[in-house]
Amino acid sequence: MFIRCKASAGTIQSSDLMVMVEPGDSLLIEIESTVKKQYEHLIRARIHATLELLEVRTGTIRVSDRGALDYAIAARVETAVRRASGE
Amino acid sequence: MIESRPQLPHRSGAPSGLERPALDEARALIESQGLRFEPEFDDLAGLYQDGQLVACGARAGYVLKMIAIAPELQGTDALGELVTGLIRSAFAAGHDTVFLFTRPRNAASFQALNFRLLAADGQAVLLEQGPGLEAYLAAAAPGITEGRNGAAVINGNPFTLGHLHLVREAARRVDRLYLFVVREDRSAFPFQVRFRLAQEATAGIGNVTVLDTSRYAVSAGTFPAYFLKGAGQAAAAQMGIDLDLFARRIAPRFHIACRFVGREPLCPTTAAYNRAMAELLPAQGVQVAELPRIDAGGAPISATRVRAAFVAGDIGTLRTLVPPTTLDFLLSPSARPIVERLRAKMEEA
Repeated sequence: MFIRCKASAGTIQSSDLMVMVEPGDSLLIEIESTVKKQYEHLIRARIHATLELLEVRTGTIRVSDRGALDYAIAARVETAVRRASGE
Repeated sequence: MIESRPQLPHRSGAPSGLERPALDEARALIESQGLRFEPEFDDLAGLYQDGQLVACGARAGYVLKMIAIAPELQGTDALGELVTGLIRSAFAAGHDTVFLFTRPRNAASFQALNFRLLAADGQAVLLEQGPGLEAYLAAAAPGITEGRNGAAVINGNPFTLGHLHLVREAARRVDRLYLFVVREDRSAFPFQVRFRLAQEATAGIGNVTVLDTSRYAVSAGTFPAYFLKGAGQAAAAQMGIDLDLFARRIAPRFHIACRFVGREPLCPTTAAYNRAMAELLPAQGVQVAELPRIDAGGAPISATRVRAAFVAGDIGTLRTLVPPTTLDFLLSPSARPIVERLRAKMEEA
């Protein structure tokens, strides 16, 4: 899947996350999280796994997380990417 | 859904419970929370419960403001829902980073939404969310050299012999001078032009680096009153924020030991800003050096005089006020739309 335009998904309500994606020449993932110290590596791993599944190789993915569980992370990332790919 | 004017095709998230509230309802809620209602904004979002407006907030460019939550919903996720809508709206309008002013006691509620504290001044704090300051500093990092460096922040509307004098004098006293050109596009000369003229005029001075202030000095985010001359009260708090941000977040990264300003005999806002600088910066380890202005034709050189001579088509006077690089631009066809705009504005006044 290819990120063609800007898109977002999710919210910054408690236990959710907001994902913003936009086109880019390389893959860049930026994470803000209220639990960044403890869980940044797990959030990043889940985003990577989701992007791999969707075959996304380039783009900027920014996440503002408020303690979302990993399936929520996967769902929000996938939704934002699908919107950005024009599907 | 709330209104937005996307720059790029953008699809936003699932429908939220937000609506655009009626102005009088929004105003009543905002004022009931002790905030001032300001009619300038690009977007307004509200949350209704049983037909009653219980939360609202606005976005002006990249600045979120007038965020008010009814007392019975404070401490709930109404704030998260409202801010989600405003951030989406900002993102759709092309702003990756958003700013927010609030009272110090509310800072923690926004920090829980991933906002970061940028600066504080007694009554007010400034927070941001997005790539923001760290991305700005990272982009500037390759041009940063160690030593005893200096800084000057100018609007340069347009670049004059007065600016050039300030830069030369300042550059002699430091290892490297960072000349920050105000990014905010609210002046007669667009940022791209102001930046290029500053670069061209100072190209011959080896230890000067011209930089863009982005949102982080004299901007709609740090010091909006600068662009509304005569806004007294609000201006004082904003200067405090603007200078706190400069002293604590910017100066240390650029190894800035001294900030240079031109003495200001004319504009009261700039004069007050210079005074606030002398009051606040030394305590944070940044010296302030106020340099005298140079004169031409018996009066200090100022960009205001340049604009007047430019509109009058007085090339003889312009020659005494601006360096050849600026004069070349003023006489070029690309300057014509600017002179038209200035003329229209002067006739209006």
